Amino acid sequence: MSHELRNDPSLLERQQARMKWQQQKQQSFFNASDHTMQNMFSTSMPLAQTNETFTGLLSGHNGLDIVKPDPGLMEDWAGFGDHLSYGYMNQNSIMPLGADQSFVHGNSVSVSTSVTVSVSPKKRKADKGQSLEVVTEKEKKLKGCAEEGDSKITHQNSNNSDKATGDNKSSNSKGASTNTSSKDKSKVSEVQKPDYIHVRARRGQATDSHSLAERVRREKISERMKYLQDLVPGCNKITGKAGMLDEIINYVQSLQKQVEFLSMKLATVNPELDFNIDNVFAKEMFQPSTSEFQGLGCTSETPNPAYFQLNSLDQVYCGLDMGINSAEMALRRSLTAPMSIPETFMDSSCFNQILPSAMWDGDLQNLCKMEFEQGTLIPIQSHQYTGSNEGSNLKMEM
Amino acid sequence: MSPPHQPTSINPNSLKIQLAYRFLHNLNNINTKRSNLDHTQINRKSHRVKVAAYASMAFVTGSRRAWSRSILRKIRNRGVLARIKKRVDHKASRVRVHHHLNARSTKRRNPSCSNPNGDYIDPSGNLGLEVKLRKLVPGAVMMDACGLLDETADYIKCLATQVEVMRTLVDLYSTI
Repeated sequence: MSHELRNDPSLLERQQARMKWQQQKQQSFFNASDHTMQNMFSTSMPLAQTNETFTGLLSGHNGLDIVKPDPGLMEDWAGFGDHLSYGYMNQNSIMPLGADQSFVHGNSVSVSTSVTVSVSPKKRKADKGQSLEVVTEKEKKLKGCAEEGDSKITHQNSNNSDKATGDNKSSNSKGASTNTSSKDKSKVSEVQKPDYIHVRARRGQATDSHSLAERVRREKISERMKYLQDLVPGCNKITGKAGMLDEIINYVQSLQKQVEFLSMKLATVNPELDFNIDNVFAKEMFQPSTSEFQGLGCTSETPNPAYFQLNSLDQVYCGLDMGINSAEMALRRSLTAPMSIPETFMDSSCFNQILPSAMWDGDLQNLCKMEFEQGTLIPIQSHQYTGSNEGSNLKMEM
Repeated sequence: MSPPHQPTSINPNSLKIQLAYRFLHNLNNINTKRSNLDHTQINRKSHRVKVAAYASMAFVTGSRRAWSRSILRKIRNRGVLARIKKRVDHKASRVRVHHHLNARSTKRRNPSCSNPNGDYIDPSGNLGLEVKLRKLVPGAVMMDACGLLDETADYIKCLATQVEVMRTLVDLYSTI
Protein backbone atom coordinates (compact mmCIF):
# COMPACT_ATOMS: atom_id res chain seq x y z
CA MET A 1 0.00 0.00 0.00
CA SER A 2 2.84 2.24 0.72
CA HIS A 3 4.06 1.48 -2.74
CA GLU A 4 0.77 2.58 -4.07
CA LEU A 5 1.08 5.63 -2.02
CA ARG A 6 4.25 6.47 -3.81
CA ASN A 7 3.06 5.79 -7.25
CA ASP A 8 -0.28 7.35 -6.86
CA PRO A 9 0.82 10.88 -6.34
CA SER A 10 1.86 11.09 -9.92
CA LEU A 11 -1.56 10.31 -11.14
CA LEU A 12 -3.15 12.22 -8.37
CA GLU A 13 -1.17 15.26 -9.02
CA ARG A 14 -1.82 15.07 -12.67
CA GLN A 15 -5.45 14.90 -11.95
CA GLN A 16 -5.05 17.67 -9.58
CA ALA A 17 -3.48 19.78 -12.22
CA ARG A 18 -6.25 19.00 -14.56
CA MET A 19 -8.72 19.91 -11.91
CA LYS A 20 -7.16 23.25 -11.45
CA TRP A 21 -7.35 23.85 -15.09
CA GLN A 22 -10.98 23.08 -15.20
CA GLN A 23 -11.47 24.94 -12.02
CA GLN A 24 -11.01 28.22 -13.70
CA LYS A 25 -13.96 27.52 -15.88
CA GLN A 26 -16.42 26.00 -13.48
CA GLN A 27 -16.03 27.59 -10.14
CA SER A 28 -19.56 27.37 -8.88
CA PHE A 29 -19.98 23.82 -9.87
CA PHE A 30 -16.98 22.98 -7.78
CA ASN A 31 -18.60 24.46 -4.79
CA ALA A 32 -21.53 22.24 -5.29
CA SER A 33 -19.45 19.20 -5.69
CA ASP A 34 -17.33 20.02 -2.75
CA HIS A 35 -20.05 18.93 -0.43
CA THR A 36 -20.30 15.63 -2.12
CA MET A 37 -16.59 15.20 -1.84
CA GLN A 38 -16.72 15.91 1.81
CA ASN A 39 -19.32 13.29 2.17
CA MET A 40 -17.08 10.88 0.47
CA PHE A 41 -14.32 11.89 2.77
CA SER A 42 -16.39 11.10 5.78
CA THR A 43 -17.28 7.70 4.48
CA SER A 44 -13.73 6.89 3.74
CA MET A 45 -12.55 7.70 7.20
CA PRO A 46 -12.59 4.17 8.48
CA LEU A 47 -10.04 3.10 5.95
CA ALA A 48 -7.01 2.28 7.94
CA GLN A 49 -4.34 3.18 5.53
CA THR A 50 -5.67 6.49 4.59
CA ASN A 51 -6.56 7.59 8.06
CA GLU A 52 -3.41 9.37 8.79
CA THR A 53 -3.30 10.85 5.40
CA PHE A 54 -6.76 12.23 5.76
CA THR A 55 -6.00 13.83 9.05
CA GLY A 56 -2.87 15.15 7.57
CA LEU A 57 -4.73 16.40 4.60
CA LEU A 58 -7.42 17.92 6.64
CA SER A 59 -4.93 19.62 8.82
CA GLY A 60 -3.12 20.70 5.75
CA HIS A 61 -6.26 22.44 4.67
CA ASN A 62 -5.82 25.31 6.92
CA GLY A 63 -3.01 27.20 5.44
CA LEU A 64 -3.67 26.42 1.87
CA ASP A 65 -6.27 27.02 -0.69
CA ILE A 66 -8.41 24.06 -1.31
CA VAL A 67 -8.53 22.91 -4.81
CA LYS A 68 -12.08 22.35 -5.68
CA PRO A 69 -12.84 19.01 -7.16
CA ASP A 70 -14.88 18.76 -10.25
CA PRO A 71 -17.29 16.14 -11.25
CA GLY A 72 -15.29 15.28 -14.27
CA LEU A 73 -12.66 13.95 -12.01
CA MET A 74 -15.11 11.78 -10.26
CA GLU A 75 -15.90 10.20 -13.53
CA ASP A 76 -12.28 9.42 -13.94
CA TRP A 77 -12.27 7.82 -10.59
CA ALA A 78 -15.12 5.69 -11.68
CA GLY A 79 -12.92 4.69 -14.52
CA PHE A 80 -10.24 3.61 -12.09
CA GLY A 81 -13.04 2.48 -10.09
CA ASP A 82 -12.50 -1.04 -8.99
CA HIS A 83 -10.45 -0.21 -5.97
CA LEU A 84 -12.42 1.78 -3.56
CA SER A 85 -9.32 2.63 -1.70
CA TYR A 86 -7.82 3.81 -4.92
CA GLY A 87 -10.81 6.02 -5.35
CA TYR A 88 -10.18 7.43 -1.95
CA MET A 89 -6.61 7.96 -2.86
CA ASN A 90 -7.91 9.98 -5.73
CA GLN A 91 -9.86 11.99 -3.30
CA ASN A 92 -6.70 12.70 -1.58
CA SER A 93 -5.46 14.16 -4.75
CA ILE A 94 -7.97 16.88 -4.39
CA MET A 95 -6.16 18.10 -1.42
CA PRO A 96 -3.41 20.55 -2.02
CA LEU A 97 0.00 19.33 -2.67
CA GLY A 98 1.25 20.48 0.63
CA ALA A 99 -0.94 17.91 2.20
CA ASP A 100 0.13 15.36 -0.33
CA GLN A 101 3.56 15.54 0.93
CA SER A 102 2.44 14.67 4.36
CA PHE A 103 1.81 11.17 3.22
CA VAL A 104 4.67 10.97 0.85
CA HIS A 105 6.89 12.27 3.50
CA GLY A 106 10.29 11.10 4.38
CA ASN A 107 11.33 8.19 2.28
CA SER A 108 10.38 9.00 -1.21
CA VAL A 109 11.18 12.64 -1.29
CA SER A 110 13.14 12.46 -4.45
CA VAL A 111 10.50 10.37 -6.12
CA SER A 112 7.78 12.81 -5.34
CA THR A 113 9.88 15.62 -6.59
CA SER A 114 10.52 13.86 -9.77
CA VAL A 115 6.86 13.08 -10.00
CA THR A 116 5.88 16.65 -9.70
CA VAL A 117 8.20 17.46 -12.48
CA SER A 118 6.58 14.88 -14.62
CA VAL A 119 3.33 16.65 -14.10
CA SER A 120 4.56 20.14 -14.35
CA PRO A 121 5.93 20.12 -17.86
CA LYS A 122 2.62 18.93 -19.06
CA LYS A 123 0.31 20.96 -16.92
CA ARG A 124 0.90 24.14 -15.11
CA LYS A 125 -1.43 26.45 -13.37
CA ALA A 126 -0.11 29.89 -13.07
CA ASP A 127 -2.68 31.17 -10.62
CA LYS A 128 -3.02 28.68 -7.88
CA GLY A 129 0.47 28.54 -6.69
CA GLN A 130 0.39 25.76 -4.23
CA SER A 131 0.18 22.35 -5.67
CA LEU A 132 2.36 22.20 -8.72
CA GLU A 133 4.74 24.87 -7.82
CA VAL A 134 6.77 22.62 -5.68
CA VAL A 135 8.88 22.68 -8.74
CA THR A 136 10.74 25.78 -7.81
CA GLU A 137 13.48 27.61 -9.50
CA LYS A 138 16.15 25.38 -8.15
CA GLU A 139 17.36 24.57 -11.58
CA LYS A 140 20.48 26.53 -11.17
CA LYS A 141 21.38 24.97 -7.87
CA LEU A 142 21.38 21.50 -9.24
CA LYS A 143 24.39 19.41 -9.48
CA GLY A 144 24.28 15.74 -8.86
CA CYS A 145 20.76 15.71 -7.55
CA ALA A 146 19.47 16.87 -10.84
CA GLU A 147 20.82 13.98 -12.71
CA GLU A 148 19.43 11.51 -10.26
CA GLY A 149 16.17 13.28 -10.29
CA ASP A 150 16.25 13.35 -14.02
CA SER A 151 16.59 9.65 -14.37
CA LYS A 152 13.78 9.22 -11.93
CA ILE A 153 11.73 11.70 -13.83
CA THR A 154 12.11 9.76 -16.99
CA HIS A 155 11.27 6.53 -15.25
CA GLN A 156 8.27 8.07 -13.69
CA ASN A 157 7.27 9.50 -16.98
CA SER A 158 7.42 6.17 -18.62
CA ASN A 159 5.62 4.49 -15.76
CA ASN A 160 2.96 7.06 -15.61
CA SER A 161 2.40 7.07 -19.26
CA ASP A 162 1.89 3.37 -19.13
CA LYS A 163 -0.55 3.55 -16.33
CA ALA A 164 -2.52 6.54 -17.38
CA THR A 165 -5.77 6.03 -19.13
CA GLY A 166 -6.48 7.42 -22.51
CA ASP A 167 -8.56 10.32 -21.36
CA ASN A 168 -5.92 11.29 -18.91
CA LYS A 169 -3.40 11.50 -21.61
CA SER A 170 -5.60 13.52 -23.81
CA SER A 171 -6.47 15.82 -21.00
CA ASN A 172 -2.86 16.21 -20.21
CA SER A 173 -2.05 17.14 -23.71
CA LYS A 174 -4.86 19.62 -23.73
CA GLY A 175 -3.55 21.03 -20.55
CA ALA A 176 -0.12 21.18 -22.00
CA SER A 177 -1.25 23.14 -24.98
CA THR A 178 -3.03 25.70 -22.90
CA ASN A 179 -0.44 25.97 -20.25
CA THR A 180 2.71 26.33 -22.23
CA SER A 181 2.81 30.00 -21.59
CA SER A 182 2.65 29.58 -17.86
CA LYS A 183 5.29 26.94 -18.06
CA ASP A 184 7.73 29.33 -19.53
CA LYS A 185 7.41 31.78 -16.75
CA SER A 186 8.09 29.07 -14.21
CA LYS A 187 6.60 30.77 -11.25
CA VAL A 188 7.54 29.85 -7.79
CA SER A 189 4.91 28.44 -5.49
CA GLU A 190 3.84 29.75 -2.19
CA VAL A 191 4.55 26.41 -0.73
CA GLN A 192 8.27 26.03 -1.14
CA LYS A 193 9.80 22.73 -0.24
CA PRO A 194 13.50 23.31 0.22
CA ASP A 195 14.20 19.62 0.12
CA TYR A 196 13.08 19.23 -3.41
CA ILE A 197 15.41 19.98 -6.23
CA HIS A 198 14.48 19.49 -9.81
CA VAL A 199 15.52 20.27 -13.22
CA ARG A 200 12.81 21.83 -15.17
CA ALA A 201 12.54 20.76 -18.71
CA ARG A 202 12.04 23.97 -20.55
CA ARG A 203 9.63 24.56 -23.29
CA GLY A 204 10.52 22.92 -26.49
CA GLN A 205 13.27 20.88 -24.93
CA ALA A 206 13.43 17.16 -24.63
CA THR A 207 12.80 15.72 -21.24
CA ASP A 208 14.82 12.58 -21.50
CA SER A 209 17.60 11.96 -19.11
CA HIS A 210 20.36 12.37 -21.63
CA SER A 211 19.49 15.85 -22.71
CA LEU A 212 18.82 16.92 -19.15
CA ALA A 213 22.17 15.64 -18.05
CA GLU A 214 23.69 17.35 -21.03
CA ARG A 215 22.10 20.57 -19.97
CA VAL A 216 23.42 20.26 -16.45
CA ARG A 217 26.87 19.61 -17.79
CA ARG A 218 26.66 22.58 -20.09
CA GLU A 219 25.58 24.78 -17.23
CA LYS A 220 28.49 23.61 -15.16
CA ILE A 221 30.83 24.51 -17.95
CA SER A 222 29.29 27.92 -18.41
CA GLU A 223 29.56 28.55 -14.69
CA ARG A 224 33.24 27.79 -14.81
CA MET A 225 33.68 29.96 -17.85
CA LYS A 226 32.16 32.83 -15.91
CA TYR A 227 34.57 32.27 -13.09
CA LEU A 228 37.42 32.27 -15.54
CA GLN A 229 36.11 35.47 -17.00
CA ASP A 230 36.61 37.08 -13.63
CA LEU A 231 40.11 35.74 -13.35
CA VAL A 232 41.32 36.75 -16.75
CA PRO A 233 41.44 40.51 -17.00
CA GLY A 234 39.64 42.21 -19.82
CA CYS A 235 37.27 39.42 -20.69
CA ASN A 236 34.03 41.08 -19.84
CA LYS A 237 33.00 41.83 -23.34
CA ILE A 238 33.71 38.47 -24.82
CA THR A 239 30.77 36.16 -24.63
CA GLY A 240 31.44 33.21 -26.88
CA LYS A 241 33.03 30.09 -25.59
CA ALA A 242 35.62 30.05 -28.34
CA GLY A 243 36.57 33.64 -27.76
CA MET A 244 36.87 33.05 -24.06
CA LEU A 245 39.03 30.02 -24.60
CA ASP A 246 41.24 32.04 -26.88
CA GLU A 247 41.65 34.73 -24.25
CA ILE A 248 42.38 32.18 -21.59
CA ILE A 249 45.01 30.54 -23.70
CA ASN A 250 46.64 33.86 -24.45
CA TYR A 251 46.61 34.80 -20.81
CA VAL A 252 48.17 31.55 -19.68
CA GLN A 253 50.84 31.86 -22.33
CA SER A 254 51.59 35.43 -21.33
CA LEU A 255 51.83 34.45 -17.67
CA GLN A 256 54.24 31.67 -18.46
CA LYS A 257 56.37 34.01 -20.53
CA GLN A 258 56.37 36.50 -17.70
CA VAL A 259 57.60 33.83 -15.33
CA GLU A 260 60.38 33.01 -17.71
CA PHE A 261 61.35 36.62 -18.15
CA LEU A 262 61.28 37.36 -14.46
CA SER A 263 63.33 34.31 -13.68
CA MET A 264 65.93 35.49 -16.11
CA LYS A 265 65.89 38.87 -14.45
CA LEU A 266 66.22 37.31 -11.05
CA ALA A 267 69.11 35.23 -12.23
CA THR A 268 70.96 38.27 -13.49
CA VAL A 269 70.15 40.72 -10.76
CA ASN A 270 71.14 39.09 -7.55
CA PRO A 271 74.49 37.92 -6.39
CA GLU A 272 74.48 34.90 -4.10
CA LEU A 273 74.78 36.21 -0.64
CA ASP A 274 72.08 38.71 -0.97
CA PHE A 275 69.61 35.92 -0.98
CA ASN A 276 70.37 35.07 2.59
CA ILE A 277 70.10 38.58 3.82
CA ASP A 278 66.90 39.05 2.04
CA ASN A 279 65.64 35.83 3.41
CA VAL A 280 66.46 37.09 6.84
CA PHE A 281 64.50 40.20 6.26
CA ALA A 282 61.78 38.36 4.50
CA LYS A 283 61.30 35.95 7.32
CA GLU A 284 61.17 38.73 9.80
CA MET A 285 58.68 40.57 7.74
CA PHE A 286 56.42 37.62 7.39
CA GLN A 287 56.21 36.80 11.01
CA PRO A 288 52.96 38.47 11.90
CA SER A 289 53.15 38.76 15.63
CA THR A 290 55.64 36.57 17.26
CA SER A 291 56.53 36.57 20.87
CA GLU A 292 60.07 37.64 20.36
CA PHE A 293 59.14 40.95 18.89
CA GLN A 294 56.74 41.60 21.67
CA GLY A 295 59.37 40.66 24.15
CA LEU A 296 61.74 43.10 22.59
CA GLY A 297 59.33 45.95 22.65
CA CYS A 298 57.69 45.55 26.01
CA THR A 299 60.36 44.33 28.31
CA SER A 300 63.23 46.62 27.90
CA GLU A 301 64.74 45.33 31.09
CA THR A 302 65.28 41.80 29.99
CA PRO A 303 68.90 40.89 30.13
CA ASN A 304 69.56 39.75 26.63
CA PRO A 305 66.99 40.94 24.19
CA ALA A 306 69.40 40.53 21.35
CA TYR A 307 70.13 36.99 22.38
CA PHE A 308 66.44 36.46 22.64
CA GLN A 309 65.99 37.72 19.17
CA LEU A 310 68.81 35.69 17.75
CA ASN A 311 67.39 32.59 19.30
CA SER A 312 64.01 33.27 17.89
CA LEU A 313 65.46 33.94 14.51
CA ASP A 314 67.20 30.64 14.71
CA GLN A 315 63.97 28.92 15.52
CA VAL A 316 62.32 30.62 12.63
CA TYR A 317 64.96 29.46 10.27
CA CYS A 318 65.00 25.93 11.54
CA GLY A 319 61.31 25.78 11.30
CA LEU A 320 61.48 26.88 7.75
CA ASP A 321 64.18 24.45 6.78
CA MET A 322 66.47 27.27 6.04
CA GLY A 323 69.14 25.72 8.10
CA ILE A 324 71.00 27.62 10.71
CA ASN A 325 73.81 28.04 8.29
CA SER A 326 72.24 30.70 6.23
CA ALA A 327 71.08 32.58 9.26
CA GLU A 328 74.43 32.38 10.88
CA MET A 329 76.12 33.44 7.74
CA ALA A 330 73.94 36.44 7.46
CA LEU A 331 74.19 37.25 11.10
CA ARG A 332 77.92 36.88 11.15
CA ARG A 333 78.20 39.17 8.25
CA SER A 334 75.94 41.61 9.95
CA LEU A 335 77.59 41.36 13.34
CA THR A 336 80.98 42.11 11.96
CA ALA A 337 79.56 45.45 11.03
CA PRO A 338 79.33 48.07 13.74
CA MET A 339 76.48 49.03 15.97
CA SER A 340 74.05 49.73 13.23
CA ILE A 341 73.32 46.12 12.53
CA PRO A 342 71.41 45.30 15.70
CA GLU A 343 69.51 48.41 15.01
CA THR A 344 68.60 47.17 11.61
CA PHE A 345 67.30 43.97 13.14
CA MET A 346 65.36 45.94 15.64
CA ASP A 347 64.25 48.29 12.98
CA SER A 348 62.95 45.58 10.80
CA SER A 349 61.01 44.15 13.67
CA CYS A 350 59.55 47.51 14.49
CA PHE A 351 58.90 48.07 10.89
CA ASN A 352 57.17 44.77 10.78
CA GLN A 353 54.91 45.88 13.51
CA ILE A 354 54.21 49.22 12.06
CA LEU A 355 53.91 48.59 8.39
CA PRO A 356 53.28 44.94 7.86
CA SER A 357 50.84 45.19 5.06
CA ALA A 358 52.74 47.82 3.20
CA MET A 359 55.10 45.23 1.86
CA TRP A 360 53.02 43.86 -0.86
CA ASP A 361 51.98 47.24 -2.01
CA GLY A 362 55.36 47.68 -3.50
CA ASP A 363 56.78 49.57 -0.58
CA LEU A 364 59.67 47.25 -0.18
CA GLN A 365 61.92 50.05 -1.26
CA ASN A 366 60.48 52.22 1.45
CA LEU A 367 61.17 49.46 3.86
CA CYS A 368 64.84 49.57 3.13
CA LYS A 369 64.87 53.30 3.53
CA MET A 370 62.91 53.25 6.72
CA GLU A 371 65.27 50.84 8.33
CA PHE A 372 68.01 53.38 8.28
CA GLU A 373 65.70 56.15 9.35
CA GLN A 374 64.38 54.29 12.31
CA GLY A 375 67.78 53.76 13.67
CA THR A 376 67.60 57.24 15.06
CA LEU A 377 64.17 56.81 16.54
CA ILE A 378 65.06 54.04 18.87
CA PRO A 379 68.07 55.12 20.79
CA ILE A 380 67.00 53.47 24.02
CA GLN A 381 66.79 49.98 22.75
CA SER A 382 70.07 50.23 21.01
CA HIS A 383 71.68 50.72 24.39
CA GLN A 384 70.59 47.32 25.41
CA TYR A 385 72.05 45.92 22.30
CA THR A 386 75.35 47.46 23.12
CA GLY A 387 75.16 45.96 26.57
CA SER A 388 74.35 42.51 25.41
CA ASN A 389 76.34 42.44 22.26
CA GLU A 390 79.16 40.52 23.80
CA GLY A 391 76.76 37.94 25.07
CA SER A 392 75.20 37.64 21.66
CA ASN A 393 78.57 37.35 20.03
CA LEU A 394 79.43 34.50 22.31
CA LYS A 395 76.19 32.79 21.46
CA MET A 396 76.78 33.25 17.82
CA GLU A 397 80.11 31.63 17.84
CA MET A 398 78.73 28.62 19.52
CA MET B 1 59.39 55.12 22.88
CA SER B 2 55.90 53.83 22.50
CA PRO B 3 55.64 50.09 22.82
CA PRO B 4 55.14 48.54 19.47
CA HIS B 5 51.55 47.67 18.87
CA GLN B 6 50.24 44.50 17.35
CA PRO B 7 50.83 44.44 13.66
CA THR B 8 47.83 44.52 11.41
CA SER B 9 47.57 40.91 10.57
CA ILE B 10 49.00 39.54 7.41
CA ASN B 11 47.20 36.37 6.76
CA PRO B 12 50.01 33.86 7.11
CA ASN B 13 48.09 31.38 5.05
CA SER B 14 47.55 33.61 2.08
CA LEU B 15 48.68 32.18 -1.19
CA LYS B 16 51.07 35.00 -1.83
CA ILE B 17 52.95 34.59 1.39
CA GLN B 18 53.17 30.86 1.08
CA LEU B 19 54.44 31.22 -2.45
CA ALA B 20 56.99 33.79 -1.38
CA TYR B 21 58.29 31.60 1.40
CA ARG B 22 58.60 28.62 -0.78
CA PHE B 23 60.10 30.46 -3.68
CA LEU B 24 62.77 32.06 -1.54
CA HIS B 25 63.49 28.71 -0.04
CA ASN B 26 63.94 27.18 -3.44
CA LEU B 27 66.09 30.03 -4.65
CA ASN B 28 68.24 29.68 -1.63
CA ASN B 29 68.64 26.02 -2.38
CA ILE B 30 69.73 26.87 -5.85
CA ASN B 31 72.40 29.13 -4.54
CA THR B 32 73.68 26.90 -1.81
CA LYS B 33 73.48 23.50 -3.40
CA ARG B 34 74.45 24.16 -6.92
CA SER B 35 77.30 26.40 -6.09
CA ASN B 36 79.24 25.18 -9.06
CA LEU B 37 77.16 27.47 -11.17
CA ASP B 38 79.04 30.14 -12.90
CA HIS B 39 77.54 33.56 -12.80
CA THR B 40 78.16 33.97 -16.45
CA GLN B 41 75.87 31.12 -17.34
CA ILE B 42 72.77 33.12 -17.08
CA ASN B 43 70.65 30.80 -19.13
CA ARG B 44 71.23 27.86 -16.89
CA LYS B 45 70.59 29.86 -13.82
CA SER B 46 67.49 31.41 -15.19
CA HIS B 47 66.25 27.98 -16.10
CA ARG B 48 66.84 26.84 -12.56
CA VAL B 49 65.06 29.87 -11.23
CA LYS B 50 62.14 29.09 -13.47
CA VAL B 51 62.05 25.53 -12.26
CA ALA B 52 62.22 26.82 -8.71
CA ALA B 53 59.25 29.07 -9.41
CA TYR B 54 57.13 26.25 -10.79
CA ALA B 55 58.26 23.97 -8.01
CA SER B 56 57.21 26.47 -5.37
CA MET B 57 53.86 26.89 -7.06
CA ALA B 58 53.30 23.18 -7.15
CA PHE B 59 54.51 22.69 -3.61
CA VAL B 60 52.22 25.29 -2.17
CA THR B 61 49.23 23.85 -3.97
CA GLY B 62 50.19 20.38 -2.94
CA SER B 63 48.39 17.37 -4.28
CA ARG B 64 45.03 18.99 -4.48
CA ARG B 65 45.30 19.84 -8.10
CA ALA B 66 46.23 17.77 -11.11
CA TRP B 67 48.56 20.39 -12.49
CA SER B 68 50.53 20.63 -9.29
CA ARG B 69 50.77 16.87 -9.09
CA SER B 70 52.11 16.64 -12.59
CA ILE B 71 54.69 19.34 -11.96
CA LEU B 72 55.83 17.62 -8.80
CA ARG B 73 56.07 14.37 -10.67
CA LYS B 74 58.19 15.94 -13.36
CA ILE B 75 60.51 17.43 -10.81
CA ARG B 76 60.89 14.20 -8.95
CA ASN B 77 61.56 12.37 -12.16
CA ARG B 78 64.24 14.84 -13.02
CA GLY B 79 65.75 14.40 -9.60
CA VAL B 80 65.71 10.64 -9.94
CA LEU B 81 67.32 10.82 -13.33
CA ALA B 82 70.00 13.14 -12.07
CA ARG B 83 70.76 10.77 -9.25
CA ILE B 84 70.95 7.87 -11.63
CA LYS B 85 73.31 9.81 -13.80
CA LYS B 86 75.58 10.54 -10.91
CA ARG B 87 75.67 7.06 -9.49
CA VAL B 88 76.25 4.89 -12.50
CA ASP B 89 79.05 4.74 -14.98
CA HIS B 90 78.84 7.30 -17.70
CA LYS B 91 78.09 5.02 -20.60
CA ALA B 92 75.82 2.78 -18.65
CA SER B 93 73.99 5.74 -17.24
CA ARG B 94 73.41 7.01 -20.68
CA VAL B 95 71.73 3.81 -21.62
CA ARG B 96 69.70 3.65 -18.48
CA VAL B 97 68.79 7.26 -18.58
CA HIS B 98 67.73 6.80 -22.11
CA HIS B 99 65.51 3.93 -21.08
CA HIS B 100 64.09 5.87 -18.22
CA LEU B 101 63.46 8.83 -20.39
CA ASN B 102 61.71 6.67 -22.92
CA ALA B 103 59.65 4.99 -20.29
CA ARG B 104 58.56 8.19 -18.71
CA SER B 105 57.98 10.02 -21.90
CA THR B 106 55.89 7.22 -23.30
CA LYS B 107 53.88 7.19 -20.14
CA ARG B 108 53.22 10.80 -20.62
CA ARG B 109 52.60 10.48 -24.29
CA ASN B 110 50.11 7.68 -24.15
CA PRO B 111 47.34 9.66 -22.58
CA SER B 112 47.60 12.24 -25.30
CA CYS B 113 47.44 9.58 -27.99
CA SER B 114 44.27 8.19 -26.64
CA ASN B 115 42.89 11.60 -26.07
CA PRO B 116 39.58 11.80 -27.85
CA ASN B 117 39.97 15.51 -28.17
CA GLY B 118 42.92 15.11 -30.46
CA ASP B 119 40.71 16.02 -33.38
CA TYR B 120 41.39 19.36 -34.80
CA ILE B 121 37.79 20.33 -34.68
CA ASP B 122 36.01 18.56 -31.90
CA PRO B 123 32.25 18.26 -31.87
CA SER B 124 31.70 21.48 -30.04
CA GLY B 125 33.48 23.29 -32.82
CA ASN B 126 36.28 24.70 -30.73
CA LEU B 127 38.87 24.47 -33.47
CA GLY B 128 41.36 22.73 -31.30
CA LEU B 129 41.46 25.49 -28.73
CA GLU B 130 40.72 23.04 -26.02
CA VAL B 131 43.63 20.91 -27.10
CA LYS B 132 45.86 23.94 -26.94
CA LEU B 133 44.70 24.70 -23.45
CA ARG B 134 45.24 21.14 -22.41
CA LYS B 135 48.81 21.36 -23.58
CA LEU B 136 49.40 24.58 -21.73
CA VAL B 137 48.06 23.53 -18.40
CA PRO B 138 50.22 20.75 -17.06
CA GLY B 139 48.50 17.53 -16.27
CA ALA B 140 45.22 18.44 -17.86
CA VAL B 141 45.50 16.35 -20.98
CA MET B 142 43.19 13.55 -19.99
CA MET B 143 40.43 15.52 -18.47
CA ASP B 144 36.86 16.34 -19.27
CA ALA B 145 35.99 19.91 -20.14
CA CYS B 146 34.63 20.71 -16.72
CA GLY B 147 37.71 19.56 -14.89
CA LEU B 148 39.91 21.26 -17.45
CA LEU B 149 38.31 24.61 -16.77
CA ASP B 150 38.65 24.06 -13.04
CA GLU B 151 42.31 23.27 -13.37
CA THR B 152 42.87 26.22 -15.63
CA ALA B 153 41.28 28.57 -13.15
CA ASP B 154 43.41 27.35 -10.30
CA TYR B 155 46.52 27.35 -12.45
CA ILE B 156 45.90 30.91 -13.57
CA LYS B 157 45.38 32.04 -10.01
CA CYS B 158 48.60 30.45 -8.85
CA LEU B 159 50.58 31.64 -11.84
CA ALA B 160 49.41 35.20 -11.38
CA THR B 161 50.39 35.17 -7.72
CA GLN B 162 53.77 33.71 -8.54
CA VAL B 163 54.37 36.38 -11.14
CA GLU B 164 53.53 39.00 -8.56
CA VAL B 165 55.92 37.51 -6.03
CA MET B 166 58.69 37.39 -8.57
CA ARG B 167 58.06 40.92 -9.66
CA THR B 168 58.31 42.28 -6.14
CA LEU B 169 61.46 40.30 -5.61
CA VAL B 170 62.98 41.72 -8.73
CA ASP B 171 62.05 45.20 -7.58
CA LEU B 172 63.56 44.52 -4.20
CA TYR B 173 66.78 43.28 -5.65
CA SER B 174 67.09 46.02 -8.15
CA THR B 175 66.94 48.67 -5.47
CA ILE B 176 69.26 47.15 -2.91
